[in-house]
Amino acid sequence: MKKNGVKMIKINSKNVDVFYGKKQALFNINLDIEENQVTALIGPSGCGKSTFLRCLNRMNDVIDICRVKGQIIINDFDINDKSCDVVRLREKIGMVFQKPNPFPKTIYENISYGPTIHGMAQSKNEMDEIVETSLKKAALWEEVKDRLHEPGTGLSGGQQQRLCIARAISVKPEVILMDEPCSALDPIATAQIEELIDELKKDHTIIIVTHSMAQAARVSQNTGFFHLGELIEHGSTDKIFKNPENKKTQDYITGRFG
Amino acid sequence: MNLILFIFIVLLGFTSYYFGRKKAYTIQSTNKRLTALPQFYGYYLAIWCAIPAFIIFSLWAIFEPTIVKLLILSDYSNQGYLDDELNLIYEKTKALSRGQFTGEITPFIEASAEKYLSLRSIAQSSKAVIVLSIIIASVAYAYKKISSNSRTREPVEKFLKAVLFTASLAAILTTVGIVFSLIFQTIDFFKVIPLFDFVFGTHWYPAKAFVRDSSEALDPTMYSDTFGAVPIFAGTFFIAFIAMCVAIPIGLMSGIYLAEYASVKVRQYAKPLIEILAGIPTVVYGFFAALTVGPFLKEIGNSMGLDVSAESALAAGGVMGIMIIPFISSLSDDVITSVPQSLREGSYAMGATKSETIKKVIFPAALPGIVGSILLGVSRAIGETMIVVMASGLAANLTLNPLESTSTITAQIVVILIGDQAFGDPKTQAAFALGMSLFLVTLCLNIVALRVVKKYREKYE
Repeated sequence: MKKNGVKMIKINSKNVDVFYGKKQALFNINLDIEENQVTALIGPSGCGKSTFLRCLNRMNDVIDICRVKGQIIINDFDINDKSCDVVRLREKIGMVFQKPNPFPKTIYENISYGPTIHGMAQSKNEMDEIVETSLKKAALWEEVKDRLHEPGTGLSGGQQQRLCIARAISVKPEVILMDEPCSALDPIATAQIEELIDELKKDHTIIIVTHSMAQAARVSQNTGFFHLGELIEHGSTDKIFKNPENKKTQDYITGRFG
Repeated sequence: MNLILFIFIVLLGFTSYYFGRKKAYTIQSTNKRLTALPQFYGYYLAIWCAIPAFIIFSLWAIFEPTIVKLLILSDYSNQGYLDDELNLIYEKTKALSRGQFTGEITPFIEASAEKYLSLRSIAQSSKAVIVLSIIIASVAYAYKKISSNSRTREPVEKFLKAVLFTASLAAILTTVGIVFSLIFQTIDFFKVIPLFDFVFGTHWYPAKAFVRDSSEALDPTMYSDTFGAVPIFAGTFFIAFIAMCVAIPIGLMSGIYLAEYASVKVRQYAKPLIEILAGIPTVVYGFFAALTVGPFLKEIGNSMGLDVSAESALAAGGVMGIMIIPFISSLSDDVITSVPQSLREGSYAMGATKSETIKKVIFPAALPGIVGSILLGVSRAIGETMIVVMASGLAANLTLNPLESTSTITAQIVVILIGDQAFGDPKTQAAFALGMSLFLVTLCLNIVALRVVKKYREKYE
């Protein structure tokens, strides 16, 4: 979304450092994420891109030894501030994981989980509607509409991942974080998810961690390249892939290391 | 003598292992590829030493006494002795030869004892000679047989499999044996006491059976209204119920705390501490219940104007519940910990709090395993003996008042079997009938528990 030709910044991270115990995993990350765009985070394994992603919805809180420093500003508010309510934050910032992780409940209950927690539906009809729109947005409705009350774990891998995406968008988040969402899927399911990502960016800001350079090039408008815990280069995907400034970026993109 | 022989055979086994391996190394040094590692050649020879020794020892153990007995008693044949008398003579002979005979020594018996001793020593030395020569022959045969392409690994592996199989067979056969001994006594019991009276009778008073003079003929009518098992079944389930009322909430909550809330450090110390509870002998729980909890409850009750028995179902059940806490807490902790982390993260990422995540995602996912742990706890509560014997009283009252004393199946079995009992007496057999019913109840519970746990496992593997 552009206002007066200026791109809107959704997330603004300043001097973010992350430590696991004594080991520092991220060094001074400054990265702006544009609204209603897909931002891809690429880089070799262990470079910190997933760690950075997990900073954005404070998922690193779950890990005892993890400490995050610096500011991450979303909607003019620093989420690392003590006054930040993690429950509200995670309502606004959804997440899809590497491996599909539907709850061992029915398809319907998987979707209604978030809306129930946040008290978003006043009646059964409203909830039905949320479930239907979420599943439709995740392009899963046609496949599961007749078996909403069967377990979500009985779906195929690709369907499970779309169920998880539907679950994430059920609470109408502003941002969706995706941590290698296609790494456990076959090419056809991957193509479906990529198509879906393109569709979702109309309503949501999407940040996707991926190992596949081709995928980053296909789905993203912006790309950030991480290496050994540092953000080496970021900018529009076109520029990063066609005309990178940094030699390391060029080497990685052309497959010389990683 | 036997011990020396045994040690000698073991040494022989080690030696043959050594020689087998050495021969393998020799073959290897001539640049020939072996079909197995050199150790296998050693084990192979050691097995060739062990199996014949085992076979001969067992055959000897089976046949030696019979043959010796036959030879001794052949002196007394055709003299018109009865079988019982012959057995007595043989026992006397054995006792005399051991120097433990105290009765009158007749020259006949003295001669027999001497013959017995000489037969035994002949048997012993011939056993040693036969065992050693057969072992040496078999090892030598096997030693000659092994070459670069002989198969040694497969027989060794097969032997190991057979040993392991025998071990598990022993456990299974013991179980079967116990069940059968229960079954036959139970059937005998129900020949005297009608099944209907046992299952539906409400009056349990086995002491009535004590007064019977064993020389009198058995009169089934005198046992009517003596072996009605309803009060003790009710007592058993009642006390188990009280125990589970204590154990399930506390055990489950501490399990959830350990799995979800406790930091690594707290868990590291708290878990073993809770498991110490499981290591306390039940006798100790028993006198804790009988001497501390029981009187304490009585005092409190009296101060409130209630009539509390010093041996109450509440004291026994409560302490039993404490005993079961570690089972439930530890098992449910394991089950909850094994719920995949990805489910937790999925729930947190939706904005769920920790307690919501536990209530809505983790607990339902872990429920089958938790139910399994609870059922195992119940079967322990039903089978527990010591605490109830010491703390819940022995009078089989049919009551649902936790402040009164009741009795359980296990406690009644103890009561019946303590002291002198006559076999074939309905009183003794009643214990078997009770044991059988207890076995059936816990068996059903365990089967259900294992089924539930298994179903849970299928979900995540």
